[in-house]
Amino acid sequence: MRNLLFAVLVALVAPCARAADLQVQVHDAKGRPVRDAVVTYYPQGGGPSEPFRFEWPYRMAQQNLQFDPFVLVVPAGATVAFPNRDTVRHQVYSFSPAHPFELKLYGRDETRTVKFDRVGVIALGCNIHDSMVAFIKVVDTPFAAKTDAQGQVLLHGAPPGAGTLRIWHPYLKARGNELSEEVSLPQGGVFRRAETADIRSPPVRRNAY
Amino acid sequence: MFSRLRTRLTVLYAALFGASLLLLSAALYGVITGHAVREVGDQLTASATVFNRIWAMRSQQMQEGADLLSRDFGFREAVASKDAATIRSALDNLAGRLGADRAFIVGMDGQVASADGKPVSRTAAKVLGQLDQDQDASGVFTLDGAPYQAISAPILSPTLTGWVVFANKLDRSEMGSLERLSSIPLRAQVAYQAAPGSWRVPVGESEGVDAGKLSAFVDTELATGKVRARHLATAAGASIALVTPLKTLSTSAPAVLVLRYPMSLALEPYRVLLEAAAGVGLLGFAFLLAGSWALARSVTRPITALADAVGRLQRGESAEVEVNTRDEIGHLASSFNAMASEIRAREAKITHLAMHDPETDLPNRRSLEERIVPMADAAEGRLAVVALGVDRFAHVRGAIGFALAAALIGEIGDRLRLLHPAYPLARLSTDVVGLAFIAKDAQSAQRMAVRLLAELEAPLSLGDNTIDVSLTVGLALQGEHDDVVASIVERATIALDQARAARLKTTVFDAGLYGDPASNLSLMSEMLAGLDQGQMLLHHQPKLDLRAGKVTGVEVLIRWRHPGRGLIVPDRFIPMAEETGHIGALTEWVLARALEEQALIRHHGHDLTMSVNLSGRLLGDAGFAAVALEMMRGAPGKLVFEITETAVIDNPAIALKTIDRFKAAGIGISIDDYGTGLSSLAYLKQIQADELKIDKAFVLKIDESHRDALLVRSTVDLAHSLGLTVTAEGVETATALSLLAGMGCDVAQGYLIARPMPLKELLMFLGEEGAGRRLSA
Repeated sequence: MRNLLFAVLVALVAPCARAADLQVQVHDAKGRPVRDAVVTYYPQGGGPSEPFRFEWPYRMAQQNLQFDPFVLVVPAGATVAFPNRDTVRHQVYSFSPAHPFELKLYGRDETRTVKFDRVGVIALGCNIHDSMVAFIKVVDTPFAAKTDAQGQVLLHGAPPGAGTLRIWHPYLKARGNELSEEVSLPQGGVFRRAETADIRSPPVRRNAY
Repeated sequence: MFSRLRTRLTVLYAALFGASLLLLSAALYGVITGHAVREVGDQLTASATVFNRIWAMRSQQMQEGADLLSRDFGFREAVASKDAATIRSALDNLAGRLGADRAFIVGMDGQVASADGKPVSRTAAKVLGQLDQDQDASGVFTLDGAPYQAISAPILSPTLTGWVVFANKLDRSEMGSLERLSSIPLRAQVAYQAAPGSWRVPVGESEGVDAGKLSAFVDTELATGKVRARHLATAAGASIALVTPLKTLSTSAPAVLVLRYPMSLALEPYRVLLEAAAGVGLLGFAFLLAGSWALARSVTRPITALADAVGRLQRGESAEVEVNTRDEIGHLASSFNAMASEIRAREAKITHLAMHDPETDLPNRRSLEERIVPMADAAEGRLAVVALGVDRFAHVRGAIGFALAAALIGEIGDRLRLLHPAYPLARLSTDVVGLAFIAKDAQSAQRMAVRLLAELEAPLSLGDNTIDVSLTVGLALQGEHDDVVASIVERATIALDQARAARLKTTVFDAGLYGDPASNLSLMSEMLAGLDQGQMLLHHQPKLDLRAGKVTGVEVLIRWRHPGRGLIVPDRFIPMAEETGHIGALTEWVLARALEEQALIRHHGHDLTMSVNLSGRLLGDAGFAAVALEMMRGAPGKLVFEITETAVIDNPAIALKTIDRFKAAGIGISIDDYGTGLSSLAYLKQIQADELKIDKAFVLKIDESHRDALLVRSTVDLAHSLGLTVTAEGVETATALSLLAGMGCDVAQGYLIARPMPLKELLMFLGEEGAGRRLSA
């Protein structure tokens, strides 16, 4: 419902060129829906010049010895909060070239923030708990979102015409874990795409000993 | 090859037993080998399991270390920041701690970095580069021809940024330590696939296993999909091998664990058993060989003995076989003995029969001929043989019967034996008993003959009869050049015949009287040759017709002038010709010649009747009659056949028919030598003769014997009354001639008138007579 409201708003704001909605369904090789795949769209003419932000909070919480969410999409320059909701302490780090950092041990109900200026993927880990893995995808386009449990994503108000559709997933078997496709959006309406992404299983965590 | 039964039996038994022994051995060996292979196979399988377990433990140990390293924050940071020096030192550190030989870092891009800085071969790099997070990447990994036990651990920071790989070289000492874990001294090797179909063991560890053979073996074993111990031939001998697939770092480079155990060692526990079996087998074989040899011997020895006995029997020796078993061969031996003794008895009987006269059981002629051979040429005198003939034996036999007649001869033999036990005797023929002795000279031999006569001519009592025996003795002595001693016996019998002919009691063999029988046969062939070669000629004895007072005919007599023997008298060859059947040819020749000469005489103006002697034997010969009649056809002169009585006329019916044919042809028939021998009144009754010739025996002494004169006279009267003319033979005196003329005799023949003479002389004689010489009574 909220999406629908948002779509109505966008339609009112841009009356000159009727924007289109981009609906993408992502499946894996076996036809199962793929969740947490980040779908981005880059119009050929470039995105809006004014700053934008996404509707979801820029927050990577640690809860039940897991990062939550698994994948977080933020625009470049966003500051992401890392609240610890566990009773144990965590030491969050990333060796990703886009933004290596390390948050020293911090405890329950403590929050650290990190500002991500560069576009890219930041793989997160906890130095204490190997099983904790999460990814922050820093994008520079407002047309970005991750798929839901049904593997679906809907991008609102994309300008019609040619553009590049990209699908990223941390375990996608592709260069840079990303698929790229040139598309042409119609005037208004919903542009639907079904994409197939070959997803490998996540690395095995040996905790047997 | 095995001509002897004993050898054949032994070989047969040995072969049969040997074959079964071989089969048994093969079966035993097969079972034992199979068992050993299974046993060792179980051991190998167990060892393989242990090896896998050990390897898993080692892998796990290394894995743990690698995992520790890959999670080390500092290490991960170093990897993330590509701090090569730190990475290498960390790897070295852990490799040393884990006891790993090599350590690598493999990047997500497949780039391989070795901890020790040594370059990594491209093949190995490729394998390492294939590491994928999907794999449980640990296992065998081959680097530079040497297998390694390798493990890999992903470097998660926190995403996969690469792998850390630790590898432990599976060298000889490493494998050796694994081998020592097994309860049996097996050989463990890791074989890797260098290329499809080509399996290799680490360099320098081929251990006599041919690479091609190994490859084929491994491929076969893998293809079966079953882990099972099998035979593998190696240069060092057969072995039992087990191939177990090994987990490898990369599926593209498979490797297997090859566990080998030498067959010889596998069979070692069974060696004693096998040796014992072989020993027992060989011992059994030896026993069987000896046993079958002995058995064969026991079977063949009596057979050999029998064969030897048969040989002895063949040579006429004693052929008794010892019978010491009651089996078939024993039966055979006793049967053989019975047969042999029967054969010997029969042989003795045959020999006895060959040498004895069955009627009297006296030795026979052949026996005597053999027994006198050693007596010949004795130093003390000459060998003499007497033939004692029972006179008129045919009559005696007719009187007393055959059995008693034989008994008579036997009795004479017994007497002789009793009187002269030292002298060999024999029954030479039905009525002749022979005795051989050594005489000082011919006189003493003759005295002996006379003495024998005296001894034997005593009356004999046979059963109820008493028989007077009259004997004639022929005596023959060994001559100076007698080649054949046995012929003395023959000569003695001939002497006996001569004695009988001469009506003497004893006679010594006269070679002059009797030709050699062997030369007699040649005489006949010479006679036939003589006929062709003109050795024969005719003599003519004129026959004086007493009424006409002149010679009206001649008796034709044959003479043989032998080129070597001189003149041979007809008495020598005529009887022989009669006996041998040559008389026909001879008579034909005489007849032809007589006809020729008759014509010649006629040419000289004298018409003479030719009288030709015709053997009574020829009267039965239709062939001769035909030939004679053919010759007679057209002959102008008169011909008379004088039928001599030298032989019995066999078939009177045919003879009379022949005579009728002759008569029909105008041939006169004369009965010769009337009054002696067979010429009897029966002749006169049967034969329609024209002439009767009174034998000279009656005529020669007609002038002295009144009795002879009476006989001649009555005969002349008898003949005349039957319508026959009468010719008297043997007229030698004028008195006789005048007496005959007075008796009415028609024709005279004899030396008084003329001796037999050749044709030339006859012609002269006839000429003289014609000129006026006239004989008168």
